[in-house]
Amino acid sequence: MVDLNMPVKQIDQDADSAGKRGRRRSFGMLPIPQSRFVIWVNIALSLVIATIGFGVGFGEGYLSAQQVILFGVVTAALLFLLLNYVAIIFEDRAAAADGETEAEAEHRRLRSRTLWRNNIVMVLAMSALLVLYLLLTASIEEFRSIKNLIAFLVLELILLFAFKVSGYFASGRSAFIGLIVLGALIVISAFSIEGFLSAPNVRAILLFAAFLGIASVGQTMVALLGGLDLSIPFVIGAANIALLSLITAGVPSYVAFGFILVLGGAVGFLNGLMSYRLQGQALIVTLGTGFAVAGFTQIMTSIGSKFAGNVFGVVPGWLSNLAAMNGRFFGMKFPPTIVIWIVIAIVMIVGLRMTAWGRNLYALGGNRGAAKLLGISELKYWVACYVISGVFAALTGALLLGWSGGAFIGVGDPYLFTTLAAVVIGGTSLLGGNGGYGFTVIGVLVLQVLTSFLLGIGLQYEWQQFIFGLLILPMVALYGRSPHIRATV
Amino acid sequence: MVTQAQSPNIYLLVPIALMAALLGTAVIRGPSLVSPAGTGAAIIVAAPLILATYSLMVLAVAGRGTIDLAVGPLLAFINVVVVKLSTSGILVSPIATFIVALGLGMLYQLAFALVVIYVRVQPIIVSLSGFLALTGINLVILPRPGGIAPPFMQDWGLGTTIFSPVLLILVLATAGWYLFTATTFYSNLKMTGYDERAAWTSGVKTDIVRIGAHLIAGIYVGLGAICYTALISSGDPTQGQNMTLTAVTALVLGGVALSGGRGGVTGALLGAVSLWLIGYVLATFNFGAIQAFITQMIYGLILVASLLLTLLVPLVGRYISFVSPWSAFLVLGFVVIGIMLQVSTIGNYNETGSVLVQQPLADRYFLLEPARAVGEGFVMTRVQLLALLTGVAAVCFTVAARLMDSEAGRRRMGLFQYLFVVSLLLALFIVIAIRPESAIQG
Repeated sequence: MVDLNMPVKQIDQDADSAGKRGRRRSFGMLPIPQSRFVIWVNIALSLVIATIGFGVGFGEGYLSAQQVILFGVVTAALLFLLLNYVAIIFEDRAAAADGETEAEAEHRRLRSRTLWRNNIVMVLAMSALLVLYLLLTASIEEFRSIKNLIAFLVLELILLFAFKVSGYFASGRSAFIGLIVLGALIVISAFSIEGFLSAPNVRAILLFAAFLGIASVGQTMVALLGGLDLSIPFVIGAANIALLSLITAGVPSYVAFGFILVLGGAVGFLNGLMSYRLQGQALIVTLGTGFAVAGFTQIMTSIGSKFAGNVFGVVPGWLSNLAAMNGRFFGMKFPPTIVIWIVIAIVMIVGLRMTAWGRNLYALGGNRGAAKLLGISELKYWVACYVISGVFAALTGALLLGWSGGAFIGVGDPYLFTTLAAVVIGGTSLLGGNGGYGFTVIGVLVLQVLTSFLLGIGLQYEWQQFIFGLLILPMVALYGRSPHIRATV
Repeated sequence: MVTQAQSPNIYLLVPIALMAALLGTAVIRGPSLVSPAGTGAAIIVAAPLILATYSLMVLAVAGRGTIDLAVGPLLAFINVVVVKLSTSGILVSPIATFIVALGLGMLYQLAFALVVIYVRVQPIIVSLSGFLALTGINLVILPRPGGIAPPFMQDWGLGTTIFSPVLLILVLATAGWYLFTATTFYSNLKMTGYDERAAWTSGVKTDIVRIGAHLIAGIYVGLGAICYTALISSGDPTQGQNMTLTAVTALVLGGVALSGGRGGVTGALLGAVSLWLIGYVLATFNFGAIQAFITQMIYGLILVASLLLTLLVPLVGRYISFVSPWSAFLVLGFVVIGIMLQVSTIGNYNETGSVLVQQPLADRYFLLEPARAVGEGFVMTRVQLLALLTGVAAVCFTVAARLMDSEAGRRRMGLFQYLFVVSLLLALFIVIAIRPESAIQG
């Protein structure tokens, strides 16, 4: 057996030297096979095919005679070139195989095998997509359109990019893939949906992305430490009804708003404290706190109310303006929530990257033991992340109140797994230490643009869920694979 | 000083205590639980949850932090498919129904396992993906609850007797796991879950083990879906998320380690039944319009509290070394069964006009005040007296035996306790079965 660890370069050189032995004469760029017979076969083949094209061209009557002749000649010439090229490759290979030694043959086989092994997933994925496309085209009449062809080609390109080019981006691979997918989605949507890039639609996408993005801040931070926070949807719902009930009870709206944020932070504090010793079970602890908080808030808001579970009241104007679709930001026609999200995103990204606090967070997520030896308090960071998560969940709930104009405990329910999906699609590892808020922003945008696209082509909520589910797996598979157990022993 | 060997099942202490407390409360608050119809209905309602929890448990034992979030949607998916096929008349025979249900469960889990092994994505991400995809496709298959279940399970869901086919499924599923624990495959599974690298290095084919665990989980989900279909006699695509959340909660209440390598049907069963009991107990209180909120809050609080209690278990084990899960189970079991016997034979007391409690608070929240015996005091029938005496004697005996046992440094008490528990359960069944007659006589 050949040593598997032989440097690739050396194998390449060996293969080159093997190729040189079988070098042939050729006229400049024009490839000419050695065997006369092959040349004649090629000429005959190209002429036959060109003649068929010729016949069909005249028979159809679409094109003028000159064009048919021109195309015929070009076809014949191109085919001849192509066939010769293919023939030469095979001749070369045969000649090289004659001249090479045992060891060289082994290298060559090894190389082709590694080539195949490295690309097997890509080839399989691309051919699966091709088969799917052909099947759909063959079976559904309405599917045969130029838009779908473009979409299909773009998807194939994404796959190619994702597999080939992303390898050069060591750290930001997921972001790169995410951005490509985002770009492709926008291109496809703009082609296939009327008014996709119109101002109202873009504003809507950004607004919903802002809600999801703000809700995902905490999930990202917690994921960086290797935890999970499932209390986010419940805190959102609870903040939503609690804020309106406070405002209705006569508390000044600004004070109530701040108070709700503090309460959210308190819930996060409890979460962090209780799950610190049970880090493996953080999922369940936060779920439990979430249930308790949602139930408790509903009980509190029901006291003295005839209609338990429903809170009625008028949302103050400034809050509506903050988040409603027709809100204005200093006279500009978009709701300030989008700006808030952008500011939060910048602060988060810069903060995680530049400040000592952010770097310590990564250290803790990457290696608890090492971070502890550096004197970083795990408890402090763990609790702080959950507090942040609680505050931002409460903020989302408050903003959603402004958006909808009415309080509803179930407003957070869609965020149960969507925040997690956004974090995961963005490329933050749930094991901790890898990723960042920038990735989550990309994940959020991908999710929202995809939602808008699916809505645009008339798919209902259930199909969206289905496609989200199927999307997460391949995206994570592209960058989030864990090492084989063989590599960890 | 001899260091005491801890029981490997010490984690069961919290679930057992929780279950005993809940069962005692439940029987006192809602005495109808201790009757053939009450117990039968309880079994049928709790069966899908129990089986879903089993499925989660198997995967949790297999390690890598596998929490199959998709268990609820998968159960709903099988339910919806079975109902859809049955409504259109394709699926009639029981055998075909079982094949479809178990087959779908196993197919999904096989795919899950293959993705985890070969694509090497974290299981939780795979399950998240499955959760979203299945939730979506369920609504596509059956947009709203409806349809009819296969005809042969029409009368399964009535719950008028204890011995229904659902109970048979449950018993088979539980017994199946105990049989499975006798195999080498099970020890390999536990080892893989506890430390996959160590297992791999010592020659365990971890991939095969993982696939096997997922297939078992698939069988349990399929059985759960059949019980669920029998329960609601129709299809319901909307309950997936709730089922996942309750099953995961039950799993944790049962003390199964999410980090892998620890767990069994005992814990899962205790957890699922406890969860169901929480709902039952809360339903006996009358909170009016805020009932649902209180239920939700208590769920959450109990979940967190029981998790925090598991932190105390090592501490308790260190200082009170003679407390083993089995002795706790026996002692608490006697107390609870005593309460059950007391409640079920309460009709035998001579009731001389019970006095209604008139306080406003109790009036508001404790409407279902059970009848209290007043007047002549503790008049017992011979059956009750016998039961009480046996119970007290058994408690003393267990504690004594356990103490001696721990002094002797042995870890197991042998066949004795199994026989003991079985005879006790038989006694309870007999009492439940003869209750109506005795009530008439009394």
